[in-house]
Amino acid sequence: MARILIPTPLRQFAEKNDTVEVEGATVGEALTALITRFPDLKKNLYSDEGKLRSFVNVYLNDEDIRYIKKEATPLAAGDTLSIVPSIAGGAYGS
Amino acid sequence: MIHIERGPWREMINHAQAAYPNECCGAMIGAIDGDNKTVTFALALDNVSAGSQAARYELRPEDLLRADKEARQRKLDLIGIYHSHPDCGAYFSETDLKNSCPWYSFVVLSVQQGRFDHANSWLPNAEQTEAAKEELTWPES
Repeated sequence: MARILIPTPLRQFAEKNDTVEVEGATVGEALTALITRFPDLKKNLYSDEGKLRSFVNVYLNDEDIRYIKKEATPLAAGDTLSIVPSIAGGAYGS
Repeated sequence: MIHIERGPWREMINHAQAAYPNECCGAMIGAIDGDNKTVTFALALDNVSAGSQAARYELRPEDLLRADKEARQRKLDLIGIYHSHPDCGAYFSETDLKNSCPWYSFVVLSVQQGRFDHANSWLPNAEQTEAAKEELTWPES
């Protein structure tokens, strides 16, 4: 059982939960369990091609899963997953 | 609409003016009641954009994760992101749009010759193709 922290703007798609507990042996399985339970979250997290949107980062505890085994990263009981966007910008290119 | 209380507003303005002629960035934390957002706390974050920061900013996702934890500890919400545009208007540029996410309010602070000039708040869409202007108020607005 892993715990997924839901960012504030996405809680409206997760029955207002700020934290959701899901089953899954890997990060990918846990995320699939999340969007199966709350289908409206899917379009916020995944592209039409079924890949995590480019601005979506997933952290296992305090570590970016891209530097572990991405969505195949194994989960242990009590792990916490956080969904964190990539954000940048700049005045030029208007 | 989004309202920024006096304390965080002053912190954001001071941050933007101190960072001039570079861009600054940070997180806005507060409460959400339906469509009304109130920012009660601003958290200055590092601009980690490589190279010149005069017209670029980038947040570390780890810092945003820390901001979200800070909000949760205060029983508040991470509402949005602010950044400055030195010697430019508070528009939402193509660069801002392509590197945004649709989950948060994006407040842009225009700093002209080192002094705050004006601000706007923007709500980007999921496809990162356009951003709608959001009503923004602060104590002196």
